[in-house]
Amino acid sequence: MPQLDATIRQVFGQIWQSEKTSPAPELAPETVLLDTGLDSLGFAIFVSALEEELGYDPFALSQDAYYPQTFAEFVAFYDRFRQAA
Amino acid sequence: MSVLARLVRDGVRVGGSVEVTAEALRATGPRRELASSRVALVLRDPVDVVRAVCALDGQVPAMLILSGATGAEAVSTLMRQAGCEALLTDREDLLARPGARRLEEALTPGRQAGAVATAWLMTTSGTTGLPKIVPHDLASLARTVKRRPAPGGAVWGLLYDPSRFAGMQVVLQALIGGDRLVVADPRLPFGEQVATLAAAGVTHLSMTPTLWRRLLMAPGRDALPLRQVTLGGEVADQPLLSALAAAYPRARISHIYASTEAGVGFSVTDGLAGFPEGYLDRAPDGVRLRLIDGMLWLKAPGAARGGPNLDMDEDGFVRTGDRLEVAAGRARFLGRDSGLINVGGAKVHPERVEAVLTAVPGVVMAKVTGRRSPMAGALVAAEVQLAPGLDPALARRTILDACRAHLEREAVPAILRFVDGFETNAAGKLVRTAQVEA
Repeated sequence: MPQLDATIRQVFGQIWQSEKTSPAPELAPETVLLDTGLDSLGFAIFVSALEEELGYDPFALSQDAYYPQTFAEFVAFYDRFRQAA
Repeated sequence: MSVLARLVRDGVRVGGSVEVTAEALRATGPRRELASSRVALVLRDPVDVVRAVCALDGQVPAMLILSGATGAEAVSTLMRQAGCEALLTDREDLLARPGARRLEEALTPGRQAGAVATAWLMTTSGTTGLPKIVPHDLASLARTVKRRPAPGGAVWGLLYDPSRFAGMQVVLQALIGGDRLVVADPRLPFGEQVATLAAAGVTHLSMTPTLWRRLLMAPGRDALPLRQVTLGGEVADQPLLSALAAAYPRARISHIYASTEAGVGFSVTDGLAGFPEGYLDRAPDGVRLRLIDGMLWLKAPGAARGGPNLDMDEDGFVRTGDRLEVAAGRARFLGRDSGLINVGGAKVHPERVEAVLTAVPGVVMAKVTGRRSPMAGALVAAEVQLAPGLDPALARRTILDACRAHLEREAVPAILRFVDGFETNAAGKLVRTAQVEA
């Protein structure tokens, strides 16, 4: 999980850099993803970049639609599908 | 159909407070010097769009209703196409033009009885390339508006751009149907817009699937007392429909298929993606459908509306460009035949992105397709062949900079890959394997 957490943070940083000019926000476990400043399109690009990096997309794999609200929920969602992928 | 101002039964609220009263909407008209002008609207404030269409309908020959985000060049071209001489805008970059003025300088209290049949010139929601003008009038836009308030009173939230077909439908439903209309300040972060609508007691909400996914990620989502959930502008997928049913168990969930070209659509309310096969024989709302070689053709009730860009057969059916598959009693959308990519409701022409890519020095060839995205429906993916010996990291930066300079944000490739070559067909054209758009 620490490795996964670090990878997700790193990819978030890259996407932020390519989308924005301001410094990337701090991601705490309770950070609400909507409040980071990434919009719908930015978030979709982030998820797509994670798929390139990790080789799977839990949002596409999940049978049920799930919409994580905090960063911790987001990482846990990726962790849950790591074995399945 | 009378003019809009005579039909208005309620005003507009921003959050909890009344921004414009119904009386003000009914009693405002254009200044006299504007009365015979064809008028373009480029307004970022959704309340101003409502104000403007109420004031101008029945008073001017035509309104060209453009999104407040329309590029300056596109505004010029579309105004020329529509023969507009006046421009009402809140954009500083456009106000310097001859014939441009602010809304408050164009309207005046008190109005003459309007008897002009005003053309409502809407545009397709194409973001890349020039939007197409689609002529409407109030009657055609308000065709599906229910004239009685919903039982228990409906409070419509507006998160769509009202210059878009789907947004205007919400506005007209609220104004004419006697429902309440609540606008969220589009400058606020999305989470705060949701909170505003929840605080105002919004019960009815209509958005694109991409925005619904975003709403489901907002911590305040459970505070929305929704009774009607409407999805439009993109294909609604089953996981999202199911998630919305779980989040809003008291709500009726409708997804709308609409063709801007034909100016009509129909809604599906059984909570399942696609629509029942039976609609091909008998669709709701008087719409008629035909499936020919996997392509959906659609006929609006009443007289056929021709248009310069419409592909219409002799029976009045319009070719929608949407490909369908029918299996197990259900018709499902496969995407656009043109390879058009629908990125969160914004339609991207791959050829235009390819043209920008191949104009970058060092790019030999480029191919752009849609890549399925569970978040935005689809994203733009580009494969690029570079001239030998170029540094890929440097080329990537140069290419993306060029795309950002020439393309709308949705059209900038989200995925950029370098390849050694491309398959071409006998005619020397790129083989563009049709990929699913949404």
